[in-house]
Amino acid sequence: MPSTGTAVELHGITKRFPGVVANKDVEIVVRTGTVHAVVGENGAGKSTLMKILYGVQRPDEGTITVNGQQVDLRSPTDAIKAGIGMVFQHFMLADNLTVLENVVLGAEKLHGIGAGARKEIERISQAYGLGIRPGDLVADLGVGARQRVEILKVLYRGAKILILDEPTAVLVPQEVDELFDNLAELKSEGLTVLFISHKLDEVLKVADEITVIRRGTTVQTVDPKSVTARRLAELMVGSELPTPQTEDSTVTDEVALRIEGVTLGASAGPKVLDGIDLTIHAGEVVGIAGVEGNGQAELVEVVMGMRDANAGTIMFGHTDITDWHTREIREAGIGYIPEDRHRHGLLLDAPLWENRILGHQTEEPNVNGLLIDAKDAKRDTDRIVQEYDVRTPSIFVTAGSLSGGNQQKLIIGREMSHTPKVLVAAHPTRGVDVGAQSAIWDHIRAARREGLGVLLISADLDELIGLSDTIRVILRGRLSGEFDPDTVTAEELGAAMTGADTGTHADTKEEGA
Amino acid sequence: MRRALTMTVVATTLTLGLAACGSDSDTGSGGSGTGTGKGGGALKVGMAYDVGGRGDQSFNDSAAKGLDKAKSELGVSAKESEANTGEAESAREQRLQSLVDSGYTTIVAIGFAYAKSVGKVAKANPDVKFAIIDDASDDSKGDNVEQITFAEQEGSYLVGAAAALKTKTNHIGFVGGVQTPLIKKFEAGYLAGAKKVKPSIKIDSTYLTQLPDVSGFADPAKGKTAADGQFQAGADIVYHAAGGSGAGVFNAAKAAGANHWAIGVDSDQALTADPSVRSLILTSMVKNVNVGVYDFIKSVKDGSFKAGKREFALKDGGVGVATTGGHIDDIKTKLDPLREQIISGSIKVPTTP
Amino acid sequence: MSRFEPRRFLLGLAAPVLALLVAVLVTSLILVITGDPVADVWSQMLKAPKPGQATDMINNAVVLYFSAIAVAIGFRMNLFNIGVDGQYRVAAFAAAAVGGQALLPGPLNIVLILLVAMATGALWAGIAAWLKVTRGVSEVISTIMLNSIATGVVAWLLAKVAAEQSAGSNDIGTKRLPDSSHLDGFVLLAGTQKKVYGLIVLAVVVGFLYWFVINRTRFGYDLRATGRSESAAVASGVNVKRMVLSSMLLSGAVAGMVGLPLLLGENYNYGTDFQAGLGFSGIAIALIGRNNAIGIALGALLWSYLDKQAVTLPIATDVDDSIVKIIQGVMVLAVVIAYEVVRRLGKRIEQQQVTRELAAQDRQPVAEGASA
Repeated sequence: MPSTGTAVELHGITKRFPGVVANKDVEIVVRTGTVHAVVGENGAGKSTLMKILYGVQRPDEGTITVNGQQVDLRSPTDAIKAGIGMVFQHFMLADNLTVLENVVLGAEKLHGIGAGARKEIERISQAYGLGIRPGDLVADLGVGARQRVEILKVLYRGAKILILDEPTAVLVPQEVDELFDNLAELKSEGLTVLFISHKLDEVLKVADEITVIRRGTTVQTVDPKSVTARRLAELMVGSELPTPQTEDSTVTDEVALRIEGVTLGASAGPKVLDGIDLTIHAGEVVGIAGVEGNGQAELVEVVMGMRDANAGTIMFGHTDITDWHTREIREAGIGYIPEDRHRHGLLLDAPLWENRILGHQTEEPNVNGLLIDAKDAKRDTDRIVQEYDVRTPSIFVTAGSLSGGNQQKLIIGREMSHTPKVLVAAHPTRGVDVGAQSAIWDHIRAARREGLGVLLISADLDELIGLSDTIRVILRGRLSGEFDPDTVTAEELGAAMTGADTGTHADTKEEGA
Repeated sequence: MRRALTMTVVATTLTLGLAACGSDSDTGSGGSGTGTGKGGGALKVGMAYDVGGRGDQSFNDSAAKGLDKAKSELGVSAKESEANTGEAESAREQRLQSLVDSGYTTIVAIGFAYAKSVGKVAKANPDVKFAIIDDASDDSKGDNVEQITFAEQEGSYLVGAAAALKTKTNHIGFVGGVQTPLIKKFEAGYLAGAKKVKPSIKIDSTYLTQLPDVSGFADPAKGKTAADGQFQAGADIVYHAAGGSGAGVFNAAKAAGANHWAIGVDSDQALTADPSVRSLILTSMVKNVNVGVYDFIKSVKDGSFKAGKREFALKDGGVGVATTGGHIDDIKTKLDPLREQIISGSIKVPTTP
Repeated sequence: MSRFEPRRFLLGLAAPVLALLVAVLVTSLILVITGDPVADVWSQMLKAPKPGQATDMINNAVVLYFSAIAVAIGFRMNLFNIGVDGQYRVAAFAAAAVGGQALLPGPLNIVLILLVAMATGALWAGIAAWLKVTRGVSEVISTIMLNSIATGVVAWLLAKVAAEQSAGSNDIGTKRLPDSSHLDGFVLLAGTQKKVYGLIVLAVVVGFLYWFVINRTRFGYDLRATGRSESAAVASGVNVKRMVLSSMLLSGAVAGMVGLPLLLGENYNYGTDFQAGLGFSGIAIALIGRNNAIGIALGALLWSYLDKQAVTLPIATDVDDSIVKIIQGVMVLAVVIAYEVVRRLGKRIEQQQVTRELAAQDRQPVAEGASA
């Protein structure tokens, strides 16, 4: 190790949001000149923690120490002053500007906007082996290069401590390796890297130290050399994880939903969805695995009628529903658990009972002819709150005041109450607490026994393996072959998700589409 | 959220923008009539101006001039108030009635917008004497109402003739504030007078706004744009009947350079306009609203008030042509015969173009 | 219904009251700075109107009410119909032109006038809706433009169909409605001969229908859902384009009624003296009234009260009536800010309450659950 000083120390960090404690008593010590990984499941509180460290949010309790000095970070500006820079998962680059222009944007005072800046960019690129040319147009760069521009931007502003939020989520395997080389370079130059991820193999490969965070609090800091992926996973999910168990198969021969040749996207250029063929039988859960952004969200939107496919057909039983509107599709008996419940699943400012109507505003018990039947809707909301254990003081509070898990239980309850024949569930347990997660899984299993066909999109491999009868992997808009969840390993799935399993998917010509 | 913000911003802008439209202040100068009347017997005059009020350098100002004269010569006291854009009919009624309620028993309503309200309020207050400027319709008729109108077409005829005589390009223009029958009287006279002198003359006519948008009477920028266009098209003299927008017409004449002229309206604008443009004002079609207002107040004061229609024409000095600056002295000999013929009735000036 | 309702009601009331106070404060400050008599102004502004004036206020409020409801229909789904002004003028003109022909006898002619006005208003608003749905043109832009176009179109058509100008008048207008088509209304307040517009009844009906359709029907639910979250509405199966179209048409139809009380109870024709600018006041009133049928009624009365007191103000106190515009303007600004503050406050209180109550519940069965 190049140094034994500490770059960042977080002690007793607690952050509460209404109804939720996002972080609680977080303890992290990052030594200077190391790559320190923070791992945890989605929703474990990693993002909030990093926002606190970057000055976007202020902790309710606890102290932050940078290079031995206690600091009070009120804004990202403060963080940058303290030498902390953040590379966000979603790049913040202007496509129609050059690298130089993007880098100096907002930092014009440092080295001007001309030759001085150009020289500095070249120097940084050289020093850390980033391979960035200041004159390139960002629009011409691939994803990996863009990420390096983001890193360069942060270094340009004088950061000595870099936070990388899920940097590999958008990268193809080769790019991941390149990134890790870059990180090693940064480390050797004495910089400190905080690496946020939930991908264990990567973390084990790149980190000098790993801090595991679970349900908002730090569990343990471990040495990657002395820990296995399995042990790390246990720390991440905790021993009380209700590991999903596949039960006896309930799959029938009856086709519930058949997707044939569905394609989305312009004729030229990469397609968002490319000839998707998928059949879901009654009583079957088909899980779709994949790195986010490979077409999962679009597939869901096409099935739900929120987008029109450019080609292909969608059959619901024996009915062609390709051209149907969302409402007709929902009325016909396709339930929908959206990926982003705040944007697509709820009216946050409306009371629970009005949210119970959402998506079923033409169906019993919500309506009476053309009128809303508030009385029955309220009564039924009470029932859902009871049966699905939605923790709320009343059905008259707004949906926005509930915690994520309870919001999700309300949505599940609402969709299940209309006895759907097919359920489209996108990340049904994302960001919900463990108790809610197991309850949601139980509800899906119960409905599956009753003959429900489920299209399950998830980033949680345990969820996919535990719930699915069949697993497919989506990569760049295409579906892989089938995997049997009873026999498939995480490694096999991971390979399929990144395209490392076959040459065809990892075609290098397709630059990170 | 963002959408809601946009709405708020737009709503606020609109609401405040609207407020700005109707808020030409008049109290600064209008306050001069307040306070003590000159002894118990002083006549109390209530003035209800049209939109723009005192200080519009035009129509309302002309009326104010009549009031000021009455104040100094007849010793009357006065209260002034003005209309807002887009106000309800009931607001005009209320304005007149409030004046009456405050003890002002001689009421002058400036502008035809008051026609209906004068009719109603006059009926309800038979002891109060009313005058309305620019309306002679049945709406405002009453036993205690004098309906004062002006033969704007006659004065406009003369300035039209003057323009036709003075133009070097054989091309002149007219800018009307708002397209109303009243302003069309100006246009009609102007056209007729110019054509009488030079039948081949080219005349451009532009109206700044259409009802109900009355901003054409108070928007110098619009006036300048319209006049600029006419000057660029080759006109060298532009006559405006556009109230406050006329300032823009004058500026356009100035910007057009030497040998470009404007003709003022209502007042002798070579005396009242911004000093920097006075030299460009060839002449003005004077509409002596002040005479009408003063005569009315005087008639009430000395007990000679007579209800009914009264038209102020060329022959009784109600309208006329200003000679300030001496720019039209050289054509006086040609204008005078026309004037005589109008007065004698041998020229009948049309009231619609 | 729920224990949260009373608090919500109080919070809802707090915002406009707060805004009014702020407006009074700011205005007083301005008066002090300009050296105007503050006390005189307020005593004049707060002077009880005479029955005749009060009747005028009610009448003006009726007109503004239609306007604000038309705006509110759009607001409820985040549509910004700034074009109420143009819509009502086109509609009133069309209704007056048709009504003046006296095609149908008496009351039937009134029905015809009403239908023509609603259809024309809807049509005019429909242009903006169609542009938005098919071309994605922001309704804010298109309705503003349509206001200007309305002015031109009406002026042009008015010149074509204008009735014979009465001698000595400077007004031009459509043919006067036959006497049998007048709705002069009725005397509501003692002590005056002035009548309240007969269409006040229609205003009440429209207000009720507005409340009923928005709050009690499927259509209203879809509309509100779209306003609260378009993405969630789409996912729930709302056809947003169709909603845009139908709500704009509805808004336009109500906008079409704005001019009717004037047409049937005051002017009896559409002429150059027909009142303009009512659509803009409607936006402010819808904001003040929080898109609520009763709130808008109160807002319209308040607005009208201020308008009317403004007329007398310069006569009684020598303070320019622009000060009332300032009151109104500040009030709208303040009300918007106050609603946002109150909304956030209410949200926080509610979230805290939910957390507290759940923590209380959790204490008994599960010890650890609260920390999640």
